[in-house]
Amino acid sequence: MMVNKKGVIGLGALIAGSAMLLAGCAGGGSAGNTDSADGDSTPITVWVDIERKPALEDVAKSFTEDTGIEVKLVTKDFATVDQDFISQVPTGKGPDIIVSPHDKLGSYVSAGVVAPLELGDVADGFAESAMQAMTYDGKVYGVPYSIENVALVRNTDLAPNPATTFDEVIANGKAAGTEYPFLVGLSPEQGDPYHMYPLQTSFGSQVFAQNADGSYDASQLVLGDEAGTAFATWLAGQGAAGTGVFNANIDGDKAREFFLAGKSPYYLTGPWNVPAIKDAGINYAIDPLPSAGGQEAKPFIGVNGFFLSSKSENALAATNFIVNYLSTEDAQMSLYEVGGRPPALTAAYEKAAADDADVAAFGKIGQTGAPMPAIPEMGGVWSDWGNAELSIIKGEGGDPATVWQTAATNIQSKIG
Amino acid sequence: MSDVIPRGSNVNAADSGLGLKGLEAVDRQDALPEEPRQNRQSFRRWFVDKGWRHVVAWVAILFALFPLAYILSVSFNPVGTLTGSNALFQRFDLRNYTNLFNNPDVPYGQWYINSLLIAIVTSVFTVLLCALGAYSFSRMRFRGRRFGLVTLLVLQMFPQLLAITAIFLLMIQITDVFPAIGLGTHAGLIMIYLGGALGVNTFLMYGFFNTIPTAIDEAAKIDGAGHARVFFTIMLPLVTPILAVIGLLTFIGIIGEFAIASVILTDPNQQTVAIGLFQLVSGFQSQNWGIFCAGAVLAALPVMVLFLFLQRYIAGGLVSGSVK
Amino acid sequence: MADVKSAETKAPAAPSAWGDDPFHKPQRRLTSGGLVALLVKVVLLAIIDALTIFAVWVLVAKGDWIAAIVLALVVIGVNFIYIRPGLLPGKYLTPGLAFLAVFQVFVIIYTGYIAFTNAGDQHNSTKEDAIAQIVRTSQERVPDSPEYTVEVYKQADQFGLLVAEPGGDTAFGTSDQALEEASSAPDGWEKLNLSQIVRFQDEILAINVPVSDDINDGTLRTSDGQKAYVYVSSLEYDESADTFTNTETGQVYADDGQGNFRAEDGTTLTPGWRVVVGWQNFAYAFTNEQIRDPLIRVTLWTFFFAAASTFVCFAMGLFLAIVLNHPTLRGKKIYRILVILPYAFPAYLTGLVWAGLFNQEFGFINQVLLGGAQIPWLAEPWLARGVVIFVNMWLGYAYMFLVCTGALQSLPDDIIEAAKVDGAGAWRIFRSVKLPLLFVAVAPLLIATFAYNFNNFGVIYMLTRGNPRFTDTTLDIGATDIMITMVYKVAFGGGGGRDLGLASALSILIFIIVTIVAVISFRQTKALEDLN
Repeated sequence: MMVNKKGVIGLGALIAGSAMLLAGCAGGGSAGNTDSADGDSTPITVWVDIERKPALEDVAKSFTEDTGIEVKLVTKDFATVDQDFISQVPTGKGPDIIVSPHDKLGSYVSAGVVAPLELGDVADGFAESAMQAMTYDGKVYGVPYSIENVALVRNTDLAPNPATTFDEVIANGKAAGTEYPFLVGLSPEQGDPYHMYPLQTSFGSQVFAQNADGSYDASQLVLGDEAGTAFATWLAGQGAAGTGVFNANIDGDKAREFFLAGKSPYYLTGPWNVPAIKDAGINYAIDPLPSAGGQEAKPFIGVNGFFLSSKSENALAATNFIVNYLSTEDAQMSLYEVGGRPPALTAAYEKAAADDADVAAFGKIGQTGAPMPAIPEMGGVWSDWGNAELSIIKGEGGDPATVWQTAATNIQSKIG
Repeated sequence: MSDVIPRGSNVNAADSGLGLKGLEAVDRQDALPEEPRQNRQSFRRWFVDKGWRHVVAWVAILFALFPLAYILSVSFNPVGTLTGSNALFQRFDLRNYTNLFNNPDVPYGQWYINSLLIAIVTSVFTVLLCALGAYSFSRMRFRGRRFGLVTLLVLQMFPQLLAITAIFLLMIQITDVFPAIGLGTHAGLIMIYLGGALGVNTFLMYGFFNTIPTAIDEAAKIDGAGHARVFFTIMLPLVTPILAVIGLLTFIGIIGEFAIASVILTDPNQQTVAIGLFQLVSGFQSQNWGIFCAGAVLAALPVMVLFLFLQRYIAGGLVSGSVK
Repeated sequence: MADVKSAETKAPAAPSAWGDDPFHKPQRRLTSGGLVALLVKVVLLAIIDALTIFAVWVLVAKGDWIAAIVLALVVIGVNFIYIRPGLLPGKYLTPGLAFLAVFQVFVIIYTGYIAFTNAGDQHNSTKEDAIAQIVRTSQERVPDSPEYTVEVYKQADQFGLLVAEPGGDTAFGTSDQALEEASSAPDGWEKLNLSQIVRFQDEILAINVPVSDDINDGTLRTSDGQKAYVYVSSLEYDESADTFTNTETGQVYADDGQGNFRAEDGTTLTPGWRVVVGWQNFAYAFTNEQIRDPLIRVTLWTFFFAAASTFVCFAMGLFLAIVLNHPTLRGKKIYRILVILPYAFPAYLTGLVWAGLFNQEFGFINQVLLGGAQIPWLAEPWLARGVVIFVNMWLGYAYMFLVCTGALQSLPDDIIEAAKVDGAGAWRIFRSVKLPLLFVAVAPLLIATFAYNFNNFGVIYMLTRGNPRFTDTTLDIGATDIMITMVYKVAFGGGGGRDLGLASALSILIFIIVTIVAVISFRQTKALEDLN
């Protein structure tokens, strides 16, 4: 019997080769995070998601030119970056800085992964709501760079005049004769309380009660109060069982598609969809949010900011970058120019608003809004809240007030 | 000793009498070229034999490809919404594809190379490790063998949800000693994947090794071949189909793996297609479905190519030539 | 890694070719193949040993004795296995088992440990870290105190600050020496530039210059080497008593043994830290009635979902494999490729597409296929369950198709031929000959697929997120939730961030359940029976 030797030899060569490779790796050590002692400083590592990364690149480059300190931008998945940050900072392998929306701040603080920052006089330059968003338990933890909120986008060809109340919006929408009088994207699985919030606040309903300084009091869940049930009852009348203005089957994707196709004069959305609306050649205007319940409609404000890791081994350089560099008008303008989000620095915002009416319009609405709650308890609210709105819109679960109350009770039992 | 006929069946494979000569007889007919269809064959006979297979195949393909048509359609549509429209292929625009390669923030080409590299290396080693394990389970008798087999399978049933935390901590320890196979390296990631190499795959191979009559290796042993030589030059060629299947399954699994990779690989230039694409659509608002779908379509290509390449082995049965 | 030493067996009594045969005495036969192989073996072992010595040396230098000893013992064991003749199974299994032990067994053990702790987002570090963080966040800038511009000076290993007050006065001080008026830094002190400041940042961040001799006036600190502020601490840490005292209210926070500093009135300081809490997490699963009631339904559905998914994937995969397994089928190659394509796309993406297709109003299935029907595919509990299984079949049948295609190739032809000669029809051959043979080959795989689907988080989360909700529980659990998604929601969706301890405990419970099921199935299928 003859046995093929080639196989053995080939395999041996393969194994030996891979072993050499391994040995080479182990001997070579790693490049990139060696800490040389001759004034060559360690780079500052920043975790940022892919959406916000382009805005940071120029700023990081000029910081390196000015100071000689390198800034390493690491793109992370937006959906999990906050969890990775909380898990990895205590191990000492996390980043020095994270770019994050402010509503995660409460989780960061209670996990002890962010360090307080002293902004000094720098803080005075920022919009008050932005500083409020960066503050937790009375301490400032970040430097804000942009403010986001929703507004009502109107197709001016279909509805030439702005409306002030939601009833007017619907009337105009019906008069326009389009397929849908009004559009908002709702997730068919979990609803979208974020987009619905301005309508809810126009009934005077909030999630948590606010303290005098604007911070949220986790011990006072006020979702289920009278104002909340009033909103729930109204919502049921606008859902599948009533006028059908709100449609649980229209998700964010579809709402955008329908608006771009001219199927509705109104679209409740944020600045992130404006570029697509422009590209589609739609003549639009950005209106204040209409009130459904008679009071002022206040949207949630999302503030993006830079936070310093509590275990950063490069804290001084990172603090310099955050506090003295990213808070300057130049840096904030450059962040705005690339990212297109309204700046948080008042001077930069005024400049941006002067040459872009959309920024001005969104910003003006944002001034009435309240920051999204950043308390960790908020994590236990979204799911029940969204599901309750979804059931009410679909006309399921019986009496809307009961559905709403049940959700509030469930949330209360979850957050203790 | 290790035939695979269950008790109660009246077939006795042990007596199948497959000597070395019988091997040629086992060659699959699949390898034969398709004979031209004869006209004299009545349609009915053709349909009973093959025609219905074509019908079933087409139905299955429609079922398989119909959701993928959406993905393809979105990838050609610059304002594509993922599930927006039931009118497919309204626009044909390659912008999403060119964006993949022109956008410095999306170094897709680099990701692609990384993904291929990681997936190929992992697959090769997985097949090798499993074959070694399956060979010993199939051809040797030792204490703890059955327990070992069950344990392999059971270990793979651990919910992966929490594995990442532990793996990360472990990798930190490894990084301190050997940075080159630690966090942020492809080698480190491949090692983690190899941790899950045994298990189901070993089992699958074990079943196949058992179908090879022991007469063959016994004969080789009598001829004086050592166990390693029997393994590499006789057994492996005989189980090529399953090696190819496991290689392909591993390859597909690794190309799509995202959770572990995203924690281990932090440097953008080290990342894989799966991590990169997920970042495009995980944002809160602006989800870039067009580019995501274009990237996914391109990422499916190597799987197709690999399958084409391996099909010979998967469906080709035993490879002759290993034994003269 | 193969041992390639040729050995000649002395006609073993049992057909167990090689194994723990005490009488098995190998003889060296230095064939050329043997030489190459021997060389490979020696080189590989040498490399491994060299790396190990290096690693042990590093670990010892780090003071990590346990890891060093374990590593050394393991490698000595490996050497023993490969150098000593015999021990064949060891030679073949070691490479795979090494990876398995490190990356799977360890993970499970570690999770088991976490299950007994309070680990989570609010307790994710050590007590030291927690104390340091509390001390750090308790530093408060004295209200309305001015912002000082500073220059950092260094003398030997001492660091000092030259402070310019807003009025224009300058003063100098160090951590040991309170601030004193001075026009410039004392002689012998050297001013640091930015790159030096960054280099000595740890020392500079630790500078704490008392404003006056009274410590209660606060201290000057800088966090960027350019500006400094006067801080007072609102919490004092007493190391001997291990307590924090609030300097304003006098409230005392002591270690409560649960990973928090807690005051009399129950308030705690953040962050907490990780401590072992015993069976608490396991108890939660059995005592919380909000979980207990839906848990039974979720468990039943999980079993059903896993079994049904496995069955339909296998049935569909096998059916297609048989259909396309014909020697002279035109276009077979193309068919096969197209049929496995669903498997080549990320399940996350295809899952979302399916969710869109099943949309009640706009989905393709209702709108186009069913002519505008309004079937609530994902909103009605039983429909949603059916849809989840259906989509899971689409996602998974290609895997089974591949495996069955491979398996069909290895069926011994002569048996089938013999059956044909006996006059059995195609269906009969399939049922009585092919299927039993196939089944033996893939039975373990079916069990593994069952286990995989048992924990198939992705498909549920993409399609329904476990909805529609149960109405009889305050927890966020729904009709399509399987155990793993329930764990995820209960442990990670509460108000206090992720609770890893609870998630680990529930995972361990799931693991135990699946293991029991798997072992029983093995007994049933006799998949492991040696059939000779």
